[in-house]
Amino acid sequence: MEELIASVVRGLGIGSTYALIAVGFVIVYRATDVVNFAHPALMILGAYYTSWFTFTVGLPFVLAVPAAMVSVAVLAALCERIAMRPMVGEPPFAAAMVTVGVFFVLFVLAFRLIGTTVITMGDPWGLERVTVLGVRLFQVDLAKTVIALVAIGAVAAFLKRSRIGLAMRATALDQEVAMAQGVKVGRVFGLSWAIAGATAGLAGMLIGTAAGGVEPVTALVALKALPVIILGGLDSVEGTVPAGIAIGIAESLTRTYQPAYAPWLGANVDVVVPYLIMILVLMVRPYGIFGTRQVQRI
Amino acid sequence: MQETMRWRALALAGVLGLIAAACGPDTDDGPVADDHAGVTEDPCPDAVNPDNGCIYLGVLSDLSEGPFAGLAVPLTNAQEDFFRRVNEEGGIGGYDVDVSTYTRDTRYDPQPHSAAYREIEPSILALAQTLGTPTTQAVLRDMDDDDVIGVPMSWWSGWDFRDETRGLILPSGYSYCMESMISLDWHVEEHGEPSSVVAVGYPGDYGGDAAAGARLWAQANDVEFLGFVETAPNPVVGSQDAAIGQVVASGADAVVIAVGPAETAEIVGGSAADDFTGVFLGSLPTWNPALMDTPAAQALQDLYFHVIPWENLVEGDSDAHHAMREALGDGLSETNDGYSAGWIMSYPIKAALEAAAADGELTREGVRAAVDGLTVDFEGALPERTFGVEANELVLREAVIAAPDPDSEWNESTVATGVSGPTAQAFDYTEPCVGG
Repeated sequence: MEELIASVVRGLGIGSTYALIAVGFVIVYRATDVVNFAHPALMILGAYYTSWFTFTVGLPFVLAVPAAMVSVAVLAALCERIAMRPMVGEPPFAAAMVTVGVFFVLFVLAFRLIGTTVITMGDPWGLERVTVLGVRLFQVDLAKTVIALVAIGAVAAFLKRSRIGLAMRATALDQEVAMAQGVKVGRVFGLSWAIAGATAGLAGMLIGTAAGGVEPVTALVALKALPVIILGGLDSVEGTVPAGIAIGIAESLTRTYQPAYAPWLGANVDVVVPYLIMILVLMVRPYGIFGTRQVQRI
Repeated sequence: MQETMRWRALALAGVLGLIAAACGPDTDDGPVADDHAGVTEDPCPDAVNPDNGCIYLGVLSDLSEGPFAGLAVPLTNAQEDFFRRVNEEGGIGGYDVDVSTYTRDTRYDPQPHSAAYREIEPSILALAQTLGTPTTQAVLRDMDDDDVIGVPMSWWSGWDFRDETRGLILPSGYSYCMESMISLDWHVEEHGEPSSVVAVGYPGDYGGDAAAGARLWAQANDVEFLGFVETAPNPVVGSQDAAIGQVVASGADAVVIAVGPAETAEIVGGSAADDFTGVFLGSLPTWNPALMDTPAAQALQDLYFHVIPWENLVEGDSDAHHAMREALGDGLSETNDGYSAGWIMSYPIKAALEAAAADGELTREGVRAAVDGLTVDFEGALPERTFGVEANELVLREAVIAAPDPDSEWNESTVATGVSGPTAQAFDYTEPCVGG
């Protein structure tokens, strides 16, 4: 039983982080109709900036994290202004290809900044444990869950309740109508990228709390959020949470029990599990569990 | 509208121009194909000796987003430093050696590796580096057809066998398979015979080869082998939880580990946090000095030993180590084991070029012919090695053991040098431990 609870809590931790990464994808997609493939690079730069502010600048960890989020938000907004704004009006596929280009530029930048080493975040959790109801849990799993869910809640509340959030939702529904109502669509695009950048920066820090630190290639972990956004719905911020948690727990339980109970399946089956869930959901609900059903007039 | 069209036309012309420049013959930077490909009477770009001709060597490495970029970048830098020193000492047979012009980033991916090989092949004499086993295997037949020899930058046991190398591949140091046997022999000497052994690593030529060595050692010593825990880099699997669970559940006394540095720290740290007390014997690529800044630092100090073919950059006292430290200068603290690998593994290609030059045959055929019976002096970093002999004679059966040490400049200290043991010494090396 103890093993089961510990495994579920590990799944909650990583699943919440996947959900936070997915929120960044969703925000940009809602505003611009573009899947932002540069997001993984923004995430690893978030890890880099957290480490840099902590160890090079000397900020306390609690200040280094927001400083890193702001840095990545600014970088993301710059990327949008330079590379994406000229693509307004172009087909979403072409714009998505531009984000692939932005990814490689930022990824090479991450390699230059991080170099040949592994970086750590300076977080207070490390490999420390805490006993909850008799079960020994890693503090980092609890921290990931709380921080990611609070951040997602804050973003969702901002989108729902603020005037800018309303403008973003209006833009997501129909750009031309939003412009006619006085919404500055270009500014909304920039803001969407900035918010996505901030969430990517925070997610990068959470991924970077791994016991072994992170390397530039760890950026590719962010691609694990793709099944989450498909499962939760490509345009649903709220959908990322149950989808991320479901995938995180499924992955964690597979890691814990598959080697013992189904070794004949071979190694690293947990890598496949999110995609199996995604395929099953797509067969039943092609627009995801919480996504908007697309209606096309023929 | 017309203005937009004009800009688009200009942008398109610019892109086409760049593509044409990238694909066209590289007449400014190096030689074009001829009967002595890769050798010109013209000096190298930025030549140390302007009166010398130039030998161009190719480098196919993982320099940006591939899984081994962290090791491959300093490794490639080391090769540049190595041949700069060769050039400063007069070059080889009246030629400087250039290892920069035909350096390509193939991201540890066989397809771009093969494409890059085809692109640079007409202009190079040999490959100073072809990083990785599957990538090298992808171009081996072409290398055979072209008489291009190369340095593999991987330690698969197959590279000790002529059937696999076609007489073209010049490895240095031991194989991962032999490394496991040496390290387990050392474990017996230092910690007593383990009652059980488990291996954890990436499948294939790296972790698979190391695991095969652990299994062979266990068979030879009648010790229980608890299996091979296959894992993958964190960008693929997200975390090492599954591997940690299996290692802890195994309860093994000794763990042979062959993964990346971050994954090593995660597995050792996570296992220790679950009260695991077995000893981890880590392969060459498992270590990075920065691991001592991770939360796993204490666990690494308690449970982990680093197995390497040569002493680390800071502590080694050979002529090669002195030369490396001199070349690095202040950059010593910013590099890792990739640097020493790049430097030390360059000695065989240098020796082959020198032998071909001495024979007056500085051609691909001449360099290839020089490999058989070629004896390489590693300036003390490794024992002398002679190529073209059978695997049992070629293979290196000794290692260096190091341990994490926060008080050392390199964050690790040498525990023992010249380490070998009865199993490693007696092993009859008749075929690769695992397919590449």
